[in-house]
Amino acid sequence: MSAGRSVGRDVPRVDGLDKVTGAAQYTADLKFPRLLHVAVVRSPHPHARVLDVRTGLASRAPGVRAVASGRDFPLHTGIYLKDQTVFATDRVRFVGDPVAAVAAESPEAAAEAALLVEVDYEPLPPIFDVEEGMAEGAPLVHPDLGRYEVVPWIQPKAGTNVCNHLKIRKGDYEKALSGSWRVFQNTFRVPQVQHVPLEPHVSVARVDLSGKVEVHTSAQSPFTVRHLLAACFGLSHGDVRVHVPYVGGGFGGKAGINLEPIAVALAMRCRGRWVRLMVDRHEEFFATVVRQGLSATLVTGVDRSGKVQAQKMHYLWNCGAYGGYGVNIVRAAGYTCGGAYEFPNVWGDSIGVYTNRPVGSAYRGFGMQEIHWALEQQMDRVALEMGIDPVEFRLMNCLGAGKSTVTGQVLDEHAGRVDLCIRRVAEEIGLDPARERRPYRGKGIACAVKAPAMPNDAASSVVLKFAEDATLEILIAGIDYGQGLMTVAAQFAAEALDIPLETIRVKGCPDTDLSPYDWQTVASRQTWATGNAVLRAASEIGRQLCETSAEVLSVPAADLTLRGGHVVHEPTGRSIPLTRLVMGYQFPDGHAIGGPVAATTSYLPEGLLFLDPETSQSAKPVAKWTFGAQAVEISVDPETGQVTVEKVAACYDVGRVVNPGLIRGQTYGGIVQGIGTGTMEELVLDPKTGRALNASLMDYKIPSTEDVPTVMTVDFVETPQKDGPMGARGIGEHTMIPTPAAIANALFDACGVRISEMPITAEKVWRALKEKEKVRCRTPLPCRPLAAGPFSAESLARHLSSLPVPARTVALLTGIPRGNGSVDSVTVKWAHGRTRALVGTLRSGDVREVAYQPDVAALTGLGPGLTPTGDDLLVGLAAMASRLGDAGLVDPRALRAYGGSLGGLASASTTPAALALLGNAANGLYPSVLAAVVESLGNPDVQPETLLERAARLAAVGAHSGADLLAGALALALGIVFPEEAR
Amino acid sequence: MRKTITLEVNGASETEEVEVGMTLLRFLRDRLDLTGTKEGCNEGECGSCMVLLDGRPVNSCLVLAVEAGGGKVTTIEGLSKDGALHPIQEAFLAHASIQCGFCTPGMVVTAVALLRQNPDPSEEEIRSALAGNLCRCTGYRQIVDAVRGAAAAMRAKAAAPLAVSA
Amino acid sequence: MRSDLDYLVPSSVEEAVALRAASAGAAYLLGGTDLLPQMRAGRKAPGQLIDLKRIPPLREIRETADGGLSIGAAVVMADVEVHPAVLGRFPLLAECIRTVGAWPLRQRATLGGNVCNASPAADAAVALLALDAAFHVVSAEGRRSIPAGSFFRGPGQTALLPGELLTDLVLPGGAAGFRGRYLRLSRRKGMDLATVGVLVGKSSGTAPDRWRIGLAAVAPTPLRVAAAEERLEAKGAAAAEEAAALAVAACRPISDLRGSAEYRRDMVGVLVRRGVVELG
Repeated sequence: MSAGRSVGRDVPRVDGLDKVTGAAQYTADLKFPRLLHVAVVRSPHPHARVLDVRTGLASRAPGVRAVASGRDFPLHTGIYLKDQTVFATDRVRFVGDPVAAVAAESPEAAAEAALLVEVDYEPLPPIFDVEEGMAEGAPLVHPDLGRYEVVPWIQPKAGTNVCNHLKIRKGDYEKALSGSWRVFQNTFRVPQVQHVPLEPHVSVARVDLSGKVEVHTSAQSPFTVRHLLAACFGLSHGDVRVHVPYVGGGFGGKAGINLEPIAVALAMRCRGRWVRLMVDRHEEFFATVVRQGLSATLVTGVDRSGKVQAQKMHYLWNCGAYGGYGVNIVRAAGYTCGGAYEFPNVWGDSIGVYTNRPVGSAYRGFGMQEIHWALEQQMDRVALEMGIDPVEFRLMNCLGAGKSTVTGQVLDEHAGRVDLCIRRVAEEIGLDPARERRPYRGKGIACAVKAPAMPNDAASSVVLKFAEDATLEILIAGIDYGQGLMTVAAQFAAEALDIPLETIRVKGCPDTDLSPYDWQTVASRQTWATGNAVLRAASEIGRQLCETSAEVLSVPAADLTLRGGHVVHEPTGRSIPLTRLVMGYQFPDGHAIGGPVAATTSYLPEGLLFLDPETSQSAKPVAKWTFGAQAVEISVDPETGQVTVEKVAACYDVGRVVNPGLIRGQTYGGIVQGIGTGTMEELVLDPKTGRALNASLMDYKIPSTEDVPTVMTVDFVETPQKDGPMGARGIGEHTMIPTPAAIANALFDACGVRISEMPITAEKVWRALKEKEKVRCRTPLPCRPLAAGPFSAESLARHLSSLPVPARTVALLTGIPRGNGSVDSVTVKWAHGRTRALVGTLRSGDVREVAYQPDVAALTGLGPGLTPTGDDLLVGLAAMASRLGDAGLVDPRALRAYGGSLGGLASASTTPAALALLGNAANGLYPSVLAAVVESLGNPDVQPETLLERAARLAAVGAHSGADLLAGALALALGIVFPEEAR
Repeated sequence: MRKTITLEVNGASETEEVEVGMTLLRFLRDRLDLTGTKEGCNEGECGSCMVLLDGRPVNSCLVLAVEAGGGKVTTIEGLSKDGALHPIQEAFLAHASIQCGFCTPGMVVTAVALLRQNPDPSEEEIRSALAGNLCRCTGYRQIVDAVRGAAAAMRAKAAAPLAVSA
Repeated sequence: MRSDLDYLVPSSVEEAVALRAASAGAAYLLGGTDLLPQMRAGRKAPGQLIDLKRIPPLREIRETADGGLSIGAAVVMADVEVHPAVLGRFPLLAECIRTVGAWPLRQRATLGGNVCNASPAADAAVALLALDAAFHVVSAEGRRSIPAGSFFRGPGQTALLPGELLTDLVLPGGAAGFRGRYLRLSRRKGMDLATVGVLVGKSSGTAPDRWRIGLAAVAPTPLRVAAAEERLEAKGAAAAEEAAALAVAACRPISDLRGSAEYRRDMVGVLVRRGVVELG
């Protein structure tokens, strides 16, 4: 798209000079007279009842001016779910939960006094994992959940640890799944990570003698801070004033409220004094907020062509101790669970689970990187197992005009083109399926989509006004914490009014007393929402200027235009400079008209509809979607497991590029943050104490200059957003969403291993490669495909009736063990039951992998030995099924589903040798000794002696592996030929 | 315990009494109100507090104010002169290398030290020299570009008089 | 950090030693890049800091009579890594130092302070071990020289006696000429502690070639693996696998946030073999 006068041009950021000279002031840079310093008393326990808090000693310590603790501040706060008090009252829920705080004349005095606060705890059993939290009878993190105030579109479950549950029910999932050609199920995990803004959280508060509260804070959303402070202290909004100076990075971690209530609580205890709470880097890691963890299980059913027909997504979010903000991530992840794809039949559950971990909250992407980690790897696995190129597979299944999302919203032609993004990054990285392969170098791709997750009435407003010299001042309350909001606001105004950018000043550090309302700076919504408000205000200002000029020039206002700082009458060329208009126009006789030109305007998203509470279907649940894709090229060191991201290509449909330099910066930054979470970041808790083990920059690493790909290419598609300012839509968060999944997919391409739990560390890759190597090296029996040969059911029946078999085989076939009560007898009984179940499923011709998976999983690793009995049975069964499949006695689709369930087994479930055999069986390769027997069974040309001899040779393998393999083969043959007997 | 120190900061002589335990970072920020130098970690891991001490880039959180006594300190505030920016500052603006701006002062100071020592660094040398300055916003690409751009501009400026005389 | 903390600036070694002898709670201060964070975290709480950085002889790099080099304890690492004599005759030291911290950190951190901190992951210490450095120390009782090989006793533990001051680190002339590689794994590429560090050095001036194998972050102290060196000296680079196995046998890694013991052990083998093969 062509650049405008200002929009689309690479103008330097308007706050750049402040920042590059050191003039920019952040909260900790502000000076306050006689400032008091705060130390917080935090829980050392992950979960405990608070029996008593005694602050007497602390309050008498030298230099102490105020002490505050839970009992004085009982009101709850939280943006969507009010589940948190200023200090823990009856119980603490994570290591770091604030219990009390001290304000003193120096940081040292505060720290020393904090040690004097006495707290009696009664430890309770903690929960750290979502699975534990969901278990029947799990300890409750919030026993009072049912009594908390909550917005209507969040659904906590009282009496459980579920703080929100969003269901997606689209089409007929069950039916679509049972009709699928193949089914794939996988589980993926994401740990908690921290935002690591370079500026740690800091808040300064004062309560004056009249009771008015004033706060300066490092926050993304001054009006939300005001709103929630008013709620948790029972104040009028009009008596709370919040200032936000420059902010040194937030990434969602400063979206709600954090330290402000503690600072205000102390300030109430020493009125008139400024009180500052500044966490150090150590506390920043666990005592502010973190990104939620995720455990995601996906089931995908595809038809023969590779089109996804059925998709199930089960998300368990590790929300940590409080879910006030996090519950909305659960919701957003639910209604976006289909990613950039069209799934006609969907069963989605997004469930937020309280645990005794640090507090989960917003983090750039708002759940999207996490769900894309799962979904984009799943799509790759499905594509590769279906033998379809992953790029082609994505193009077959992706969303676009006329396609419907998981909520049933049908996209129109303005919605953005993920297909173009896929094609561009695939081309840039060279994802041609016929590409030349090099060992341990791989390429991968992942898509991304996100919509703003916000209440339907989330608004932005601006004030545009002129100074006497016609400098345009723009007041906003969106925060420019690096993304460039101040600059794009100026660009929109300059473009709309055709005035030089140099004559615009954006007042970007809001004060809730004076600034126009803005909901929050989150959700990649500011360029779009504030941009729209600026354009509306500019239009109003233009109207005022033209109206006055029309009277001055005695021409119709409609004939006037704004050009180069003048109002111009094009037909005559007459013009008036803005300097003569902005404060009102004065005629030669002295009378004046017009008056100071100014406008206040707002933008509220239009036409948004709630989700259905049971199915989440909605024709317009969100304001807009931004689509994109990234592809990467990596190299892997096969011996150390180190992954190097060599090249990244990113492409997004942003509607309109407003500032090329800024949008490239957003993209580079997102990619590198994605490389951070994807390959190195994880907040590690001690599994016993719940304490963070790596809460420092020495132990928690984020990418440095040397961890960045040498080549990052950035490209944009510009399909204008219908309600976007000059077509623009949001992009800030999307840039980090697909990176980890793209790396994971490239890793598989490079060396055939998958890491399903973020981050992809060198050691994990090393371990996975070792496992793979073991499997390859220790296949205990030579394998081969089955040879085709004549077959008749009669011959098979004859063979089965006459073949003598070892006692071991008989035991497995009958389920009657010898030596009842031994460990082996349990194995035999179990194995018999599960084998019979599998025979039944195969005979029924069930085509779904899920139909086989439970029995396959139960047999895998069952029994002792190099290849456990259960695995031998599975392989024997597979070989016979293949033989009977060729003969038309077993449905080939059922056979395929059974094979798929063998291929999908995790390395943990059995021995490497057995895994190797199973892997071979899934690929149609069977131990030669077994193949010889299976080929003989039912072959009329094979003499009984020959069969006998072959069976004996098989039965002689291992301690009882041969007998077990034989049992597997015979179990199926018997089940097919003599179904009654088998029953 | 308190000690009186005298040192030169951005060309001005300063004499102050300080606690021995006070870091140079706290001294600059709290005593001299030079808040352009940022505190990001207080453990030498992030580089936000980088200043030049006797010409060398140092993490001012790892230096005691008393250790800097008698020395010369340059902070971000000392790099521009009466509104005229240092070429590296100019380059940071021109290459869109700034986002939240919190790492920017430290990043610029390290870059100044690098270009004094090595006027024509390779991309690899720039990345290596800046590895102790963390940035969470930019992905570093435009920062590295700015340092290369500034190096070229500074070399061109240094070479210009010679070209005229030749 | 103690509120009564004092700061003393001796101008000679003798004065420093006398100040230290006069107060049991004093600590010597070099670059401070390890000591100050330890004090802030409450792990160390000296009552006086005796700053050694203004003692001229401690800030020098001097040639020694045997063709070796004496590096004053207060010389910052950034100066060592670019010193012509170091680059020319003892490049292994520069190779290791370049991986310590970040470039600005090495403008402040001294070689002397780094060895006294005795981190198991001390990259520079591996080179000093490999080059048979001698650590010269002085106290009120007199002077002595501690071989690098017996200096490191455990994490944070050295052979220094209370009050002893490290004046300089002496690289013997006989150790000149070793070239090689310091192969290092860390969680990220820029500025990180080593998960595993392996130094492989070789000197071809003599027959047979002399070899050096040093390890960092895989034992309570930095290590040198004499058995692997001997095997290489006997059999040459063809014994790379054997040398790797000997190094694996010699290391005693722990599992921590940076890596498991199992991974570290395997990486010692991989990196030793790679280094030997590369130097051939």
